[in-house]
Amino acid sequence: MKKRIYYWVHEEYRDKPIISKVILETKVMINILVAKMRPQESFLILELSGSKEQIEKALNLLKKYGEYEDIPKTIEKNKERCIDCGACIVHCPVNAISREEDFTIVFNDKECIGCKNCVKICPLKAIEVCEI
Amino acid sequence: MKTIREINEKIKKGDAVVVTAEEMIEIVEEMGPKGAAKEVDVVTTGTFGAMCSSGVFLNFGHSDPPIKMMRTYLNGVEAYSGLAAVDAYLGAAQPNSDDDIDINYGGAHVIEDLVAGKEVRLVAEGYTTDCYPRKRVSTTITLEDLNQAIMVNPRNSYQTYPAATNSREEKIYTYMGTLLPEYSNINYSGAGQLNPLQNDYNRERKTYNTIGIGTKIFLGGGIGYIIGEGTQHNPEKAFGTLMVKGDLKTMSTKFLRAGTMPNYGCTLYVGVGVPIPVLNEEVAKACAVRDEDIQVPILDFGVPRRDRPVVARTNYKELRKGEVTIEIYDNELKRWVEKTVKTASISSYKKSREVAEELKRWILNGDFTLSEPVAPLGRGSCKPMKAEAKLVRDILSKPPIVARPNISIEEAARILTEKNINHLPIVDEEGRLLGIVTSWDIAKAVAQNIKSICEIMTRKVISSTLDEPIDVVARKMSRYDISGVPVVDSGGRVVGMVTAEDLSKLLGYRKF
Ligand code: SF4
Ligand code: SF4
Repeated sequence: MKKRIYYWVHEEYRDKPIISKVILETKVMINILVAKMRPQESFLILELSGSKEQIEKALNLLKKYGEYEDIPKTIEKNKERCIDCGACIVHCPVNAISREEDFTIVFNDKECIGCKNCVKICPLKAIEVCEI
Repeated sequence: MKTIREINEKIKKGDAVVVTAEEMIEIVEEMGPKGAAKEVDVVTTGTFGAMCSSGVFLNFGHSDPPIKMMRTYLNGVEAYSGLAAVDAYLGAAQPNSDDDIDINYGGAHVIEDLVAGKEVRLVAEGYTTDCYPRKRVSTTITLEDLNQAIMVNPRNSYQTYPAATNSREEKIYTYMGTLLPEYSNINYSGAGQLNPLQNDYNRERKTYNTIGIGTKIFLGGGIGYIIGEGTQHNPEKAFGTLMVKGDLKTMSTKFLRAGTMPNYGCTLYVGVGVPIPVLNEEVAKACAVRDEDIQVPILDFGVPRRDRPVVARTNYKELRKGEVTIEIYDNELKRWVEKTVKTASISSYKKSREVAEELKRWILNGDFTLSEPVAPLGRGSCKPMKAEAKLVRDILSKPPIVARPNISIEEAARILTEKNINHLPIVDEEGRLLGIVTSWDIAKAVAQNIKSICEIMTRKVISSTLDEPIDVVARKMSRYDISGVPVVDSGGRVVGMVTAEDLSKLLGYRKF
């Protein structure tokens, strides 16, 4: 299974290789989708894949060094505004936007991580992201 | 051989055979151009994309007391009113006069709001005359309140358009949309096999078979007319454009939409559909054009010059697949490597189809008959502007003032004050750029008691070359918020320095 989370690293662990540690100890696969490492904050969006137990173990371990939150449903296309151009597709880091046979552009909100890349580039302002 | 009049008779009787340009491809494949010309009467085409060269002539009617409008704003967007008293032209790409809103609500947005039936705030000022004593009006209007709202678009419906990619290390924002760094996407525009001019193009004669001045068309969901070739029309290179007009009051937001290309500008997405009467075999043959027949060059928008280098050539079929493989030069590996790049459309193929389908329905219902053009499109012209580019080499006069990294902070400070400069490029024994030190760095070093140049110099230096236009250098400085760039030759040797001061004198820019 796959799970996506927001993750904030506690201040004292900011310079520690936590993600590697979690991978080594739980054998879970971690894909770092977004990473913002600054002196004031370190925030990550992670995708964990593995068995249910592995993921649970990984989450427990991550909790020790920081805080996580599940990623809620975020994205919605305004059908009235969208012209189905497809300019947004390439800007999605997780391939949550795709084009159907008849050239309709569809969003998969299960995959979406709410990064808003697509929102920023859509010329028609047709994408609404629910604030978290 | 058929005539337009005969086709119109059939349309009125409900006997006309009308197909879209997509459907025509198969028909010609099956029956050949001759058979298809017999079978089909009209081919409908369609395109739906961003067309900045669009706008509307508005007539507001006279106020009491009357005003001669000189500065006219609609929801804060200026319309050109250097015309008669209450006429104005609102251009789609005009940004808002409020800098905070800027391109997020511009001319195109006002046009969309008018078509949507929304109220729009009109503020106008005039210079007073004996016959027009009023100084100012401020009121709200709707499309209905206007005497005329005539869309006149100087350039619409490009026959084809080059695709765009970006070689730079940074993301750039262009009229072709947002381009990711290092060739990470290719943006393209155009309806390809559905495009009106493409389907009417006579490849041998380099002219258009049926389209001319007076051709009746689908424009933004209403009826419009072609009033001539568009600006930059270039049939020689299969790069035709159209100038069109139509009544905004008959249009719909389904086929006329405002948009904003991020960090570039606002634009109007216009649906244009042209019916092509299949008069003969030659016309039928042209209508069979397929996406794969239309060559599309991919240009590097990372090069901010008029003649952008062609990175590769492809066609609409490949582009629509979602990925194109191009060859690019890898500076580290020092050889050509293949790269598969994702493509994204910035126009809508789905909407282009809807335009062609809608026009087909109109004709089948007998609501829309074809017009006889009164003259062919003109030959057009598309030559560059007569304006010379000022290059960095033209403005470098003094020999460079540089220093080696082993000088002391005091020495650096002395050079800066003696020569009255703020930037000191640091070079190796060959004169090649290693870093840069500014007077600010020196002040900091003194305050923090730092002794060596190497500790304070900036190593990742934004530099320029002799052949770079000075406007490009100016943009670099503002983008990176710096006040000077060293100029290097092809060997990396420093040959001079361009500062914000030099440029503001030349370009009249106030700030960088
Ligand atoms: S960029 Fe905007 S208008 Fe275009 S397909 Fe995506 S959501 Fe729709
Ligand atoms: S916000 Fe948009 S770009 Fe980001 S993940 Fe969701 S769909 Fe993709």
